[in-house]
Amino acid sequence: MMAVNWAERIAAFSLSPSDFLSRTTPEGFLAELLRELRDDRASYNVKVALLSPLCEYPTLLCPSVSVGEETALELMSVFAQCPPKALQFRCHLLLALTSVLLCSSCVNTHSRASQDFLELLLQIAQDTSDPHGDGALRSLRVTACDCLRELEACCPGLLSQRLELLSGLRHQETSRLHQAFVGLHSLGLRNAVYLLAQQTGAGAEELKAILGGAAAVAWEADPDSGLVSNKGTPLPSPLISSPMGTVPMLQTGPDCKELRSLLSSLLEESYLLTPLCQAALLHRLIELVAMVPGVSPAIFKAQLLRLLGTSEVCLLHTTLLMKAAFTDSLFSSEDEVFILKRLVALSQHPLLSTPEKLFYMDCILHFPENRPISSGDGDESLPVLLTPRLAAALVPTVFNDSATMLARLNLLSLVYLEEGEEGDGEGGRGTAYLYDHIISLIRIVDNRGSREMIVTFFRAAFLFLFHFCHVEHYSHGMTEKLCDLYLRHTRLAPHLINLCDRTQDRLGELGWAVGLLGALQRAIAGAPLAQLTLQDLRWHLKILARAAEEGEISQQKTLDFLFSVITSSSSSLCVSGDWRLGNGVLGVCRRLLVHPSLDSLLIPLADILQHLSCRYGDTDIQDHARLYYSLLTTLSREKLCGVLAQGATEGGRQVKKRSLSSIMAESEELTSVLSIHQTDRPVFKLVELDLYKPQQGTEMGREKELCIDENSKPMENCPGEQSAVLEAYKAQFQHPGFASEITLEYQLTHAEPHDSQFDQLFSIRLHFDLTDDHYEELSDISVPCLFRERAAPVVRLSLKPKQPYPTTLHASAIFTSQDGLSWHTVLPDIHVAFQQAFIPLSAPPEWGAEGKLMVFEGLWGEICSGECEAEDLTDCATSLFCGQLSEEALVALVEEHFLPYRISDQSDKEEYKVLFFLPPHSHILLKIRSEEDAVQFNVATDNWQLLPYINSYLLTITKSSLQESVDS
Amino acid sequence: MSVRALWIISHEKGENVSIRFSRRFPTVEHRAKCLAGSLYVPVPEESTVLQLLLTELGLADADKPYVVLRDDCLHHQRSPALELHVEGKGVLWPVLAISEGPLILACLPLVEGPAEPRPPLASLLSVSQGLTLLAGLQTFLLGSGSKPDSEGLASRLAMLPSVLLQVCPLGTPLDVPQLGAPAASLVSTPAGTQKQPAWKTGLHRGRAVVNVALTEMVRSMQYGNQSRQDLWDVYGTVTCKCEVEGVLPNVMVSLTLPPNGSPLQDILVHPCVTSLDSSILTASSVDDCDGSAFSGPYKFPFSPPLEPFRLCSYTSQVPVPPILGSYQLKEEENQLRVSVTLKLHESVRNSFEYCEAHLPFYNRDQMGGVDVKVSSGQLEVSKEKNLLVWVLGQKFPKSREVTMDGKISFSGSIPGPTDPLCTDLTAYIKLYFKVPDITLSGCCVDQHSVQVYSSAKPRITTSRELQSKEYFIWNATGAAPVSSGHMML
Repeated sequence: MMAVNWAERIAAFSLSPSDFLSRTTPEGFLAELLRELRDDRASYNVKVALLSPLCEYPTLLCPSVSVGEETALELMSVFAQCPPKALQFRCHLLLALTSVLLCSSCVNTHSRASQDFLELLLQIAQDTSDPHGDGALRSLRVTACDCLRELEACCPGLLSQRLELLSGLRHQETSRLHQAFVGLHSLGLRNAVYLLAQQTGAGAEELKAILGGAAAVAWEADPDSGLVSNKGTPLPSPLISSPMGTVPMLQTGPDCKELRSLLSSLLEESYLLTPLCQAALLHRLIELVAMVPGVSPAIFKAQLLRLLGTSEVCLLHTTLLMKAAFTDSLFSSEDEVFILKRLVALSQHPLLSTPEKLFYMDCILHFPENRPISSGDGDESLPVLLTPRLAAALVPTVFNDSATMLARLNLLSLVYLEEGEEGDGEGGRGTAYLYDHIISLIRIVDNRGSREMIVTFFRAAFLFLFHFCHVEHYSHGMTEKLCDLYLRHTRLAPHLINLCDRTQDRLGELGWAVGLLGALQRAIAGAPLAQLTLQDLRWHLKILARAAEEGEISQQKTLDFLFSVITSSSSSLCVSGDWRLGNGVLGVCRRLLVHPSLDSLLIPLADILQHLSCRYGDTDIQDHARLYYSLLTTLSREKLCGVLAQGATEGGRQVKKRSLSSIMAESEELTSVLSIHQTDRPVFKLVELDLYKPQQGTEMGREKELCIDENSKPMENCPGEQSAVLEAYKAQFQHPGFASEITLEYQLTHAEPHDSQFDQLFSIRLHFDLTDDHYEELSDISVPCLFRERAAPVVRLSLKPKQPYPTTLHASAIFTSQDGLSWHTVLPDIHVAFQQAFIPLSAPPEWGAEGKLMVFEGLWGEICSGECEAEDLTDCATSLFCGQLSEEALVALVEEHFLPYRISDQSDKEEYKVLFFLPPHSHILLKIRSEEDAVQFNVATDNWQLLPYINSYLLTITKSSLQESVDS
Repeated sequence: MSVRALWIISHEKGENVSIRFSRRFPTVEHRAKCLAGSLYVPVPEESTVLQLLLTELGLADADKPYVVLRDDCLHHQRSPALELHVEGKGVLWPVLAISEGPLILACLPLVEGPAEPRPPLASLLSVSQGLTLLAGLQTFLLGSGSKPDSEGLASRLAMLPSVLLQVCPLGTPLDVPQLGAPAASLVSTPAGTQKQPAWKTGLHRGRAVVNVALTEMVRSMQYGNQSRQDLWDVYGTVTCKCEVEGVLPNVMVSLTLPPNGSPLQDILVHPCVTSLDSSILTASSVDDCDGSAFSGPYKFPFSPPLEPFRLCSYTSQVPVPPILGSYQLKEEENQLRVSVTLKLHESVRNSFEYCEAHLPFYNRDQMGGVDVKVSSGQLEVSKEKNLLVWVLGQKFPKSREVTMDGKISFSGSIPGPTDPLCTDLTAYIKLYFKVPDITLSGCCVDQHSVQVYSSAKPRITTSRELQSKEYFIWNATGAAPVSSGHMML
């Protein structure tokens, strides 16, 4: 193991934890990490790297409170034994501990380790000793503060009883460390006030109590009550408007001198902090003042000019947050004008970076006005004070980068729309400028602009149309220019179709997209045929197919064009027999077959189809053409529509729904039917049926079906002696497939939130992917249908373990919705717990309880004496687990968890014997005995690798049963 | 006010993409999960993040001309915050990304509130903090020069774990990384009761030295055309390096303008400036100039950090451009007739560090015969034969006017570079020059106006210079692109 290249392994882990863990187990990897961390030979650089999986993915390695707790205890002992000079490592250890304890919910549950850790952190933070006189310990203290701050952020109120201590530390500290205390103190303060404000009746007295460190008086020294929020969930910022509405308010009356002086002292020192910390501090203080009406926002006044003049984006940002929170109680209308001008100037400042400028432009569109006219529902809206003259600094130019240009175009479009987009006014002239700008972009695309420029142009075009499509002068101009552009660069067809689709979705009522498609159709039909290349033709057919979807566009020109293309002597199309082009032609024809004006198209369309069916140089195309021809000439219009397109035509794009049975010409274009759509979120999920509770009375419970090979002959009766019984038991494993599967039952139910589109689902095919190597691949499972109003179907998963470890399965499904579309959806992961792999001892029923007991004793003897069969010898292990359980609790525990696996006589209350069989061939045997106030679980197994799992399983069930007995 | 994850990606124009560094902050992720509730979208694994990010930035599938996911015209590319659409899981937002040279830096700030309705960016402090963090990391990794240096980059990437321990422990940005090691003459522990600023890594010991450098950049777009108004503006930065004793020493720098100087606008100051007069901030470039505006002196009291820093920056409107040019091209059969005049304004000192005019030609074959005469300086043809470089040297002639006349034929065998903007007769001259010891705005830092409140007498040096930046003279006979909204209003 020394040769393990940890750097590579850690890198592989970070790249894809799921891949990495599929080759091992989280438990195994965690154990390896912890072992290496304890190894004195490993260098501290390596050890820092070893901590990174724990720092970054603690939930993967420590999925439960108990594992988190154990890991944290291990890490703390590593910390305690670590020499002081390994400073970096110790800092990283603190971070790892914080991550593990928070993410495995140890802190929320006030676990022992988390309380010890909290004390450790507080102790480090207060430790002013400086043994070497170099202030080296200071970085450890800073990190301890960082950890405390994160604990407080995740579990608000944790430090509410230490505010006075923190305040004292902050005052004393003159080194740079004071910044860490300021951050910690201000967050603690804000959380305490937030929680206070949520308590009914809390006021000035309570506030004074927490500031004075007398919180214990107000809320007894009980960690579960008082300011420690019970749920331990982080608090949302009161500055972000929530749909629930209001900011929590703490009514203190005017009497909150202590708080005010505290805030003043924090503000005075804010200058000494780095800009990022200053911004964070100001943010917390703004939240505080917003929650305590007794403190006037004027407290910030002294800082304002410094903040408004700053070059730091996060500091200027805090003034906007103040403006949003306090409006005219802190900012006059002159201030408002000034801030807006400043934002405009900064949005185009030559010394600022593009993301900063984009951010400022975004701030203009969400400007916190003192007296907003709009409802402020989060949408972009123009501040009233933004005049065209002011905004002129932000007109888009061809020299801008894409994002800046689009942001400016959007902003200026809003400005000119407001002013009136026509005529000689500023709005009119401005709109004319924007149009000219779009035309310049067209010119750039025309002159072989890069791919990025093409995409940017189409985005700009969409934005312009979105705002000004109703101005005919411009929308007609755009249509013309785009047609010209297309004929010169037919490869832009997908972009144009995308533009048509999007404008139709958003601005369908204006009909611009239909106009453009019509114009493109005419342009294609009108272009000289002699110069047509096959490449152009391919794109033309795509455009024509899209145009043929529009009922309002007359299709005569399309037919003329198709006819001349396939018949013209200069075109080698029919001779070449190019399948894709043939398909393109058929794609247009197919749409024409369902076009509302089909009656007038009948004869020319029939001519084309007939020509294709006779002359086209590809049999497949000929066949399809013949089929279309017969459909066209024999079916009534209604039937034709029925065959080719299900559902009514509803204006615009007529074909909204298609059935799978419709006859396809080509595969590329019919995306909605042929492609599988992806759902945004899980549509359904698998809910485990409660398997743990055996039905009372039935000896075996039979929840888990055994797959006993059909060929295996049941034994006549129990074969006498113990050794013979064991022999016969083992012989069963010779039959392939004997007891090799575990079956888990789930209900397939709809997931929330409700989406009526998916109320009725058909032909669901569930697919499962393994996340590790411990199980055989699963086969897919079919479920005929899933209706919301009907009972949920039961799905049986048959798992074949290679190693019976806990695992997680990724599940996905393909299904059909009631509108005939196919969907792919991802289901929430399925977690298979260790105990789900348990199977009762599989002995023939005739053996009866006695036979089973013999098997048990036989196995026990083998394992304990080390007489396992040679190859297994090394895998055998025994272990002892003790739990604090009363006699009654033990009985209940056995009833609840072990009944199906119990071997011993029901009447034997002295000792319980339990056997878990884990496919393919592992056994865990338990002898459980009550000794005074403790219960001993003697464990024997022929697979020692299962020991950590059985231990944690026993820990969990004994804990929960202890809990239950306490509760009752 | 924290970030959930951080990525550093290197690429070569969308090719050879790899994640060079990444960091997840699980405790912040834990908070995100609690705050977003059922709308929580977990951060996917690296390969997925990379693919989604490249798609969003328009860099994915560089070989395909059109990809719906990447190129949809509905896409909001105009926000600083990207959306990553995670298959089957939902949308990750707001992802911040900055891209410079071979590096893309991205992070995912925490939204400290309910996920829906989506709050505006302006209400999320974590967004501006994230931008600051990314910019700081970028400067740390690339240096100020943004020049890719793979070895230096690799060694700085290797330093990131310990750097992040300082500047962004547990996902909360506290500072930006410091460049380079602190100077030797530092004492780290202060004595006394004065608190040491967190942005000051130590204390200076030794003689006080203050260096103030003022650099002004002039930009211009000249069209030589009645219908297009010529444009020019300047912006300046004041950079300081102060070595002064004390925990929180006070220094004051004043900028002064000549009697008729137009006021300095859009002033931005370094966070170490302790206080500002409101009159300093009133003038804005986006506003009509007010005659009564404040015109100095501009006083900046501050307590300096140890490293060099940009004390302040400003913009200014000046009455004339330093060099006024005219550029005329005429197409004659297979050649171009070129005629250029450049005039140096009398107010500008005729003493350059360098001055060059570049005349690139696009969308044409390589230059063949160049039969061009200049009244001053030398002419060079670039190796690629698509660029004329007119080296004007240190001085204009006494007349302060230079001319270029002649013909260029484009008879080369290989086509030259293309440019979508400069087609037909759309062409420009770009000027590169630097003039020491002047500013166009007239702004200056008087050595005697620098005050250092400390016991020892400080050594104070000041300097100033003018540089060109995006200084274009467009061919008057071609169509030139509009470059500013002020032209039409």
